[in-house]
Amino acid sequence: MNKPLISVVTVWLTITIILFSMPVVQSQEFDFELLEQKVQSFAVIINMKLEVSFGIHTAEQSERYLGTIVNRDGMVIFNGTSLTSNAGLPAFSGFTVKTNPTYIEVSTLDGKTYEAEYIGVERFTGIGFIQIKGGSDQFTPVEFKGDQEFRTGDWLSLFMLLPEFINPPLAADVGMISTLIESPEHFPLTVGFNSLQTTAVLFNGDLQPVGVLGALMDPSMANTDPSGLLESFGQFGIPLLGVITAERLQRMIADPPRQGVVDRGWLGISLQALTRDMVEYWGLDLSGGIIVNEIMSESPAEKAGLAVGDIISQINGQQIEVDKEEKLPVFQRLMAELGPGAAVELTVIRRSETRIDTLSLLATLEAAPMAAADADEYECKSLEFNVRNMVFADYMANNLEAETFNGVVVSKLKMGGPANVGGLRIGDIIQRIGDSEISSVEEAELIMTEIETAQPAEVIFFIWRQNQTLFVNVKTNW
Amino acid sequence: MILFRNLFLVLWIVINVSTVTGASLQEQILDARDRVLPALVHIQPVIKNYSTGQLEKQAVIGSGVIFHPDGYVVTNYHVAGKAERIICTLSDKEQVQATYIGGDPLTDLAVIQLDLSDYDDTLVVAEFGDSDSIEVGQFVLAMGSPLSLSRSVSAGVISTRDRFFNDNVRLPTGERTGRYNLWIQTDAAINPGNSGGPLVDLSGRVIGINSRATIFANNLGFAIPVNIVREVTTAILEKGEVVRSWIGIHCQALQELEEFFKTDRDIGVLVSSIDPGSPAETSFLKAGDVILEIDSVPVSARFLEELPAFYNRIAKHKPGSELAVKVLRGDETYSFKITTKQLGDIQGEDFEAEGWGFTVKDITRQMQIENNLKDSLGVLVKGVKPGSIAAIGSLRPSDVIIKVNQTNIIGFTDFVTVYNDLKDTAEKKILLTVNRSGGTRYVLLKFNQVVEEQKDE
Repeated sequence: MNKPLISVVTVWLTITIILFSMPVVQSQEFDFELLEQKVQSFAVIINMKLEVSFGIHTAEQSERYLGTIVNRDGMVIFNGTSLTSNAGLPAFSGFTVKTNPTYIEVSTLDGKTYEAEYIGVERFTGIGFIQIKGGSDQFTPVEFKGDQEFRTGDWLSLFMLLPEFINPPLAADVGMISTLIESPEHFPLTVGFNSLQTTAVLFNGDLQPVGVLGALMDPSMANTDPSGLLESFGQFGIPLLGVITAERLQRMIADPPRQGVVDRGWLGISLQALTRDMVEYWGLDLSGGIIVNEIMSESPAEKAGLAVGDIISQINGQQIEVDKEEKLPVFQRLMAELGPGAAVELTVIRRSETRIDTLSLLATLEAAPMAAADADEYECKSLEFNVRNMVFADYMANNLEAETFNGVVVSKLKMGGPANVGGLRIGDIIQRIGDSEISSVEEAELIMTEIETAQPAEVIFFIWRQNQTLFVNVKTNW
Repeated sequence: MILFRNLFLVLWIVINVSTVTGASLQEQILDARDRVLPALVHIQPVIKNYSTGQLEKQAVIGSGVIFHPDGYVVTNYHVAGKAERIICTLSDKEQVQATYIGGDPLTDLAVIQLDLSDYDDTLVVAEFGDSDSIEVGQFVLAMGSPLSLSRSVSAGVISTRDRFFNDNVRLPTGERTGRYNLWIQTDAAINPGNSGGPLVDLSGRVIGINSRATIFANNLGFAIPVNIVREVTTAILEKGEVVRSWIGIHCQALQELEEFFKTDRDIGVLVSSIDPGSPAETSFLKAGDVILEIDSVPVSARFLEELPAFYNRIAKHKPGSELAVKVLRGDETYSFKITTKQLGDIQGEDFEAEGWGFTVKDITRQMQIENNLKDSLGVLVKGVKPGSIAAIGSLRPSDVIIKVNQTNIIGFTDFVTVYNDLKDTAEKKILLTVNRSGGTRYVLLKFNQVVEEQKDE
C-alpha cells in the first residue's frame, strides 16, 4: 500500500464517520435503550407470501415488513403500498395488477409466531392492515398520542427493520420536522428518514408515539386515470416524507379499510381546478374551486342538479382553495373521507353569457365505484381463464353505455391454456358464450358449467375488443 | 372450338419453345432489368408532419416507377402522400420536379407527375403485368433506392402471393391500410427507401409496388399487387381519388365457425362487427349475420385472405345506391337493402395554429369511428408543441376543440377562421372548450405568459 492511498482512505473514512455520526451528535438526547424496551411489546415482523397477477403472468413472492400492533386484539399496520390494487396502473383496457396475500405470519420480538389474515390497504397513505388470527385482548398495542403540536426543528425517531440475516432485527434512526406544510394538505414534513421506513412509528423527544412515517399525497398520477375518479395516487418520483398524525391513524384503526369493500364517498363528476387565470377570464371573485367537467349518469352529482361547467366553490360552507391541478386530490380525499351516505351542501357558481348565479345544492354521496381489481371474479378451470364483472372504469375508459352494454372482462389467462390458444386476450369483454348473453360472472359460471357437462368440441365466444366485436372459437380439451 | 384449341396449342408450343430456346436465367434478368430500370424513379419528397404540434418539414426518400407516357409515376402513399414538393431523379441521373396528383392511403398508393418541360430524353414507361397469374417460387426483381442507394436491383422469388395483414396495420403517416388488398411477399431484398419501387417479373413487367418490409427479419418484403395498382392509379388519373362505398361492417373468416353459424364450406361471409352510426347499423344487419349474397351474387370468405376481395365488392358499389343483401341468421335467411355511403377521407385536413402552439385536424367520419367520438363536431388536436402556451394550458393531443372563446367550432373551417381572426388581436387570454374522453374541459391560452418566460431566459 502506498502512502497517498492510505491518506485518501483515511480522509474518506473520517468524512464518512463524521457524516454518519452528525445527526446523532446534533439530535436531542433520545434514550434509545428505553425506547427499544417500549417497542418490544408492539413491534412485529411480518412475513408475507404474495400472489401477484399481471395479465397473463402470475408470480409468487415473499415480503418481509416491520409491523406495529395497534389494538389489543392483534390488528397490525405495515407498509402496504405494494398491495394496493392496481398500484399506479389505471384501469385501461381491463388490465389489472392484482396482489393477493396468500399466507401471512407475524412474529413478535420475543419470538412468538402467529398466523394472520389480510384486511386491506388504506389507499391514500398506503398503510396496510392485517389481523392476527384468534388474537383477542392479549396484546399490548402502541398508544398513539394525539394533539401533538409539531414544530419545525423537533426531532423524531423511529425503528427500522434490518435485513433478515442481521441480528438484532431493529435499528434506530432519527429525523427532524423540516417544515409544516399547509397546502395541499396539513403535513409535518420530515428530513432524515427514507421511504423504506414508511409506516414506522414515529416517537417524539418524550418517547411518545405521535404518528407513523408517510408521504405527502402525490398528485402526479392524478390525471392519468381514465375514469376521472383519481382512483389511484401513485407514489412516483421521490416522495415527500412526513408524519401521518395520530388523529388520522386512530380513525383508520377504528374502521380499517377492508379489501373489496368500498367505503369512500363519491360525488360522480370529473373535474378540473379553477386556476387564477380562469377566475380572471370569467370575472369571478374566488380564490379557487372545482370546475365540473362531466357528470356521471345516475350519480349523486346528477341527482343534486349539478351541471357541466358549474364551479363548486364551497363544501359545507368551507371554501375550496383548489387553484392548481395538483391540488385536486384535496377535494378528492375530502369526498372520499366524508364517506358514502354523507349529506353535503355544495355552493355552486353557475355561469351563463349574461349572468353569474350562486346556488346551494344538496348531494348525498354514494360509495365510489369499485376498482377492477376488487370486482367479483370467476375462474373457469376447464378453459383456463378468469373473468370479472365490469366496473365503472371499464365503461368510462371504453366509452361504453352502462345501460345497454353487458359483458364480463377477461382478467386472467393461463398461457398455453385453451382460452389463450383459442385467441381470447386479457381485457376482452365477453358478451356472449355460444348463444347465451353474459352480463355477470354468475351468468358466465352458469353457462360454463353447462358447457363443462355437455363437453362440446369448441366454444364460441362473442367478444368486444378495441371498439369492435369478434367471434372467438376456443377448442376444448376435455 | 377445335380451331381455338389448336390455336392455343400452337401458342403454348411457341411460348415453350421460346423459353427453351430462349434466354438463360441471367439473360432474362438482364432483359427484365432493361425493360423497367430506365423507368425507375428515385423520389425525394419533402413531407409535412403536423404530429409534434407544429408544421415540421421532413425530407424522405422513396422509389417509384413511370407507368404512363405523360410522366405519371406510381409510388407509395407513405412516400409522397403528404409531400409539399417532390424532387425526382430518373435512372439517367437527371433531376426533375414532380407534382402530387392523388393518393390512396388504404392501398398505400400515390401518383405523382414528373415535370418534363426541361427533360429532353425519351421517357421509358414500364408495363404493368398481371398479378393474378403470378406463381409462388417465380423469380422476381425488386428495384428502387434502398437506404437511399438509388438504381438498386435485388432478386428473389415470390414467397407468397396472397399475404393478409389485418387492417390495424398503419402507415408511417398514421393511416390504417390494407383493408382492400393482399400483399405479394418476396425474399428479394427490400429496405427502407425501396418503398414505391416496382417488383418485376422476368418478362420485365411490373407485378407489384414494394411497400413494406419486416425490420429485423431476413428478406421479408411485401408488395401491393399490380392489379390493385392498376385500379387505383386509373381511378386517381380519372377522378383524382379512389371513390369507395361504405356500409360500416367488419368481417371475419368463417373457417372454424361454420358449424356454429350453420353454414357450409365456402358459403357466406361472417359479419363480426358493425360501426356505430354506419349504414349497416341503421339497417337490418347484425353482428353474427352470415352474408350469403351481395346483389344476388354469392359471396364467401372462409379464409382471411378472401376478405379484401369481399370488402372491395362493397367498395366498388356506387356510393349512395342500394346494396341488396341476403343473410343467414340462425336457421332463417333474410333479404334486405342497405343504402351505402361514400367512404370519404380517412384522415382530415391538417392545420397549424402556429401562434397557439398546436396543430389540429378536421374530423372525418372514419376518424370519428376510430377515435370513438360521439359526433364529428369540432377539430381534433393532433399535436401540442412542448413548452407552448397550449402545453402550459394543458391542451393534449386527441382533445376535440368545440369552442374558442364564445364561438362554437362546428368544423375545420370555423376553427381556421376563428384562429385567423384572433391570432393578431391583442387578446391576452383565449379560452378553448374541449372534449376530452367524454368530459368537457377548459383550456386557457395565456399569451403574456410566454413572453414573460422568454424574458426570463
